[in-house]
Amino acid sequence: MLLRLVSASLFGHRARTLLAVLGVAVSAALLLDMVMLSTGMSESFRALLLGRGFQLRASPKGTLPFDTEATIADASAVIAAIHQSPDVEVVSPVLGGTVHFPLARGGALSTLALGVDPAVQGDYALEGGRDPRGDHEIVANRELLARAGARVGDSLTVAGGYDPQLRRFAATGRVLVTGQVRFLYLARDQAAVAMPIAALQSLGGERRRDRASLFMIRARDGADIERVRSGIEQRVPRVTAISIATALAQVEERLSYFRQLAVILGAVSLAVGVLLVATLVTVSVNERIGEFAVLRAIGVARSSVIKQVMLESATIMAAGSMLGLVLGLVTARYLNTILSSFPGLPEAIDFFLFQPRAAWMALGMLAAAGVLAGLWPAWRGASLPVARTLREEAA
Amino acid sequence: MRLHILALLSAIIATAPHALPAQSTHQPDRSIAIDSRLADDAGLRVGDVVVIAAEPGALGDTVHIGAITRPGADPSEVARREYRVRLHLDHLQALTAIGDRVHRFAVATRGSAAEARAVAAIDAAAFGFRAHRSRDVAVETSATFAVVSRFHRAIGVITITASAIFLLCILLLKVDERRRDVAALRLMGISRATVVKSVVIEAAAVAVLGSIMGAGLGLLAATLVNVHYQGVYRTPLRFAVVTPQVLTFALALSLVLGAAAGALAALRLARMHPLVLLGRR
Repeated sequence: MLLRLVSASLFGHRARTLLAVLGVAVSAALLLDMVMLSTGMSESFRALLLGRGFQLRASPKGTLPFDTEATIADASAVIAAIHQSPDVEVVSPVLGGTVHFPLARGGALSTLALGVDPAVQGDYALEGGRDPRGDHEIVANRELLARAGARVGDSLTVAGGYDPQLRRFAATGRVLVTGQVRFLYLARDQAAVAMPIAALQSLGGERRRDRASLFMIRARDGADIERVRSGIEQRVPRVTAISIATALAQVEERLSYFRQLAVILGAVSLAVGVLLVATLVTVSVNERIGEFAVLRAIGVARSSVIKQVMLESATIMAAGSMLGLVLGLVTARYLNTILSSFPGLPEAIDFFLFQPRAAWMALGMLAAAGVLAGLWPAWRGASLPVARTLREEAA
Repeated sequence: MRLHILALLSAIIATAPHALPAQSTHQPDRSIAIDSRLADDAGLRVGDVVVIAAEPGALGDTVHIGAITRPGADPSEVARREYRVRLHLDHLQALTAIGDRVHRFAVATRGSAAEARAVAAIDAAAFGFRAHRSRDVAVETSATFAVVSRFHRAIGVITITASAIFLLCILLLKVDERRRDVAALRLMGISRATVVKSVVIEAAAVAVLGSIMGAGLGLLAATLVNVHYQGVYRTPLRFAVVTPQVLTFALALSLVLGAAAGALAALRLARMHPLVLLGRR
């Protein structure tokens, strides 16, 4: 009986019900997108940083990793000092620099080069071939190979310096491309190579001798990361050691705009959804005062009338939320495509990350708030004096 | 064509200059300009003496602060937290040991007509150089903002869709509430067309009134957004701007939606018999 009354009411005003469901769906979609946006960046960035198991990064004092061109001198001594901590398991030095590949058609392909220790590196994932083993071997990503017109197994001439005025290369040598890799922290279209750190240091001459841009540090399982971090800064005052939490805080600070936008738009969409249902239920109840009075007069309990009205709003909210879930996932994918084209953004970073718990919580909150918004008009409709209402409605 | 070689080269110094003890009375010859954020954070003032070095812990030069600069309204610098220190060109060259080198020259031309000639002349004369128009450089460097702008447009479409549905729904309900009035007018002999017109005008008026109130709310929100983010990012940049175009678009959209919703509901009501509207049949 209750379901038939609800169904009659909703289908009796098809246009109104359809618009209400659509309105709730768009609000739910926007709310879902904003929940995904508010958590997506930090979660995917955390996954990226922790992907290779390095919990700490040490960079030149006062800088973030690769935020400036500053490097750390006496890298070997720094590695030894960091290893003094019994909690440190692996130290992976990284040196960033530019190398140049002379092109057959003239000019040079200047590209980013990372000097790493291939045995413990955490900067790239091998897609084909093998790691470089000696000073005359490199690995390159797909973009570099395409631009240089090279393949794994080819030999290339590489230079540590290039004077565009004289078109003269400095510190040249031949290197073998031993593998194709995907760099984890570089932008998707950035061409780059990696080579043993000693090779890149020697290409840079005196300026890069025994220098590193960054040290990635893996602590033993169960180690107190904060204690290891402060220990490194005490042993090597020339570096700033950054934990994942600090790095995340820095990123969140820089991207706080998106988080705040997500909170504001999420709150607005929640309010719009609730307001829509509250308005609809209020108007619907006002229109059906006579109907409710008749129901009450023939002995239908007040709670049944309230249940009927609330079931109507719950149906609209449930249908709208389900539609909103689909709509939200589609729009999130589209919005993520837009934001993923940020220059310099690593490929693995997602702005919109679907986390079932957060998504269900947001949609559940919207549905519950919508249903509760219908409670007051439902109570009012069911509590009107029966005789007077019937008389007024008849008049 | 006049060539203006920048006397000052902007340099991003990774760490804050180290302040010398206050009792130092020696006033060094060289001066630098620092930005107001660094001045605020490090408690530095014009005339203070500091040591600057190319690398943390390296030997540096003792200089005095000659000026404090205000950050410009440059969107590309908003999310960057680096401090900016400006040195005389020869001073920075000596400090960083890069020799007689610069990263770029800024060139002022006599009007836009001379631009192409200047670019061609520089490219032809300066071996190893490449001249770029400022607007081409701006397109390259504003890629981030193009992405943000696309994102804003997409979010805008979603919110406009949501508000359009909301507006349609509310106006349908509003007009539906008038069924007894419509029935009375029809029973009095007022024509269907007049009834529809009056309902459409009323719906449009409600929509426009709501839009005007919304515009006021939007202006207030934009002011709050600007005050908040200008404080957070310490920049004079305006983050939200309510332009006449935005206002016109919002007004036009709500007018069209209001009139459409009113017409839809009014036509439905006008087609029904007045006694049905009154619930008597």
